[in-house]
Amino acid sequence: MKKDVLFTLPSYFREDMNIYAYRFGKGERTCAVLGALRGNEVQQLYVCARLIAYLREVEKEDGILPGRSVMIIPTAVGASMNVGTRLWAPENMDINRRFPGDAQGSTTERIAGALMEKLRLYRYGIQLTSFYQPGSFVPHVRVMDTGRQNPELGCEFGLPYVYVRTPRTADKSTLNYAWQLAGTQAYSLYAGRTDEIDEAAAEQTLRAIIRFLGSRGVIRADATPGHISTIITNDDVLSVSATTAGLLRRVKFAGAHVRRGEQLAFIMNPLDGSVRETLKTPVTGMLFFVQDGPFITEQSPVFQIFSSQRG
Amino acid sequence: MSVVKEITSIASIRMAIDENWTVRRCRYAPEGASAGRVCLATGIHGDELMGQLIAYGVARCIAAQPECLHGIVDIYPMLNPLGLDVGDRMTPMDHLDMNRAFPGTKDGTALEAICHAIIEDMRGADLVLDIHSGTVGKSELYEVRLSSPHADWLLDQARALSPDLIWVLPERSANHAMLTAALCDAGVPAMILEIDEHRRRPQASADRVVGSIFCKLTQMGLWTGDAAPQPLHGERIPCIRTPEEVCRVTCEHPGIYEPEDCSGRWVKAGDRLGAIFDALAGEVREEITAPVDGLVFSQRSYSPVYPGTLIARIFQGGTK
Repeated sequence: MKKDVLFTLPSYFREDMNIYAYRFGKGERTCAVLGALRGNEVQQLYVCARLIAYLREVEKEDGILPGRSVMIIPTAVGASMNVGTRLWAPENMDINRRFPGDAQGSTTERIAGALMEKLRLYRYGIQLTSFYQPGSFVPHVRVMDTGRQNPELGCEFGLPYVYVRTPRTADKSTLNYAWQLAGTQAYSLYAGRTDEIDEAAAEQTLRAIIRFLGSRGVIRADATPGHISTIITNDDVLSVSATTAGLLRRVKFAGAHVRRGEQLAFIMNPLDGSVRETLKTPVTGMLFFVQDGPFITEQSPVFQIFSSQRG
Repeated sequence: MSVVKEITSIASIRMAIDENWTVRRCRYAPEGASAGRVCLATGIHGDELMGQLIAYGVARCIAAQPECLHGIVDIYPMLNPLGLDVGDRMTPMDHLDMNRAFPGTKDGTALEAICHAIIEDMRGADLVLDIHSGTVGKSELYEVRLSSPHADWLLDQARALSPDLIWVLPERSANHAMLTAALCDAGVPAMILEIDEHRRRPQASADRVVGSIFCKLTQMGLWTGDAAPQPLHGERIPCIRTPEEVCRVTCEHPGIYEPEDCSGRWVKAGDRLGAIFDALAGEVREEITAPVDGLVFSQRSYSPVYPGTLIARIFQGGTK
């Protein structure tokens, strides 16, 4: 293993922020893995740390295959993580909206640009990412529909779903989008929770990355077989939103299979305990995303349901 | 002739505990026929307060000369009321930039639904002015900013507002999700007014913009009362048409920026814009100078900086 500093951001009030890269193997730049891009992506950092620890053991056993290499960046925002801010506080900016970045631009553009300069050299890219709403996803692979995506390859992670998402305007400045346009086969992995460690989801995500590295010929992997992935699109996912506001009490959780008409959650008047709304599923399917904040605002999506009955 | 004043909620989303996220509009309409409709919007970014004073100034002028109003003026002073309340640029619940969420969708998230309702309410207007003020720690001239794909048909309208500068924003995908860009896409002429905060003495800046808004209303036939005069040589207002005409001056060292006030000045290459100092070491880390000749139209105020922090923008395409 080699550890090097990929980028240093000097700071005035506090210590400089280093972005570290951990490298295994030699030769072709086969796969790059990026963990936290936001200050609350603890789960993403944790999965990367576990992956590095695993690859150290693989390396000892000569398990990195000749002519292949992998680079892992556990976090690009250590300074934000230390003070618990999701966005890059000095600019109030989301670095995952600053790609492809600019080496001569603003601070966040420089961070994005420095990452992009290295990441674009790899054939395959994996970003561990999070959703802007608090909640849990069924672990899955996500890929932007840029015209260059390869969802079939995403099936090699062995997660239950590969979600091909039509990008909205704001998505076009994300790493996944820019990475694909730069020529890398880029995948985003949603690893359960964000700002706390979810051991089961972390283990599943770690196994998925190991499986992918094995199938791509980077390591001699001992990964257990994964799922036969189903490729889904926006048209396969139905959103169930609140029509009122209050305290959200969930009855069903991410990964649950539900039948049409089944109760998913209820929204309680936070002052007197009366039930304002009962949320039921309009289709039979599987809960793909479940919001888990204590409060819910009217018209906020609470559940995303994957259902083959759609479309 | 009198003016009918009516306050309406154009979008409302229930929040968890006994409160609604409501966007309100105050309409000033003459009794009888209307010569057109202009919308004044502000408060998309909760850390920008200048629009409040301008909206208030426009309302006071209409109240002082109601017989002079011949068209509808709709004022939306608080598009992001929760952000304004806590001084947050973003929408506080989801930390998203509202001015990157347009045109929104009716059945989308709360923010998307609010954005959709705003667009629908402004649809059909003859002009929409979205008033912003420089982010905290940065001063701006009075600028009109236009979306690149729509600049050609908006340029003459922008000149009538007598800004110090007109800036055709570079073509970027994120800019397409701004309120003004989404409105232009829907066929509604819309532009951004950017004004310096001047928090200690905001009145003079606000009065100037209010005067120019009434100049524009006069030109459109909506107003016959007091207004700033029409610009004599509107074509001479500096206009940035390409990204290459803007020189971004950034710093390379972290520290505290001590500015030399150059805002609004035509500088020569090499002129001093300030310095970055280190109070712990008691040293200057970096002298900041203008790399080109031109007009300083945006400048950072006294504040901490990182490598890459924007110190100034210089328009290098024009002449004094």
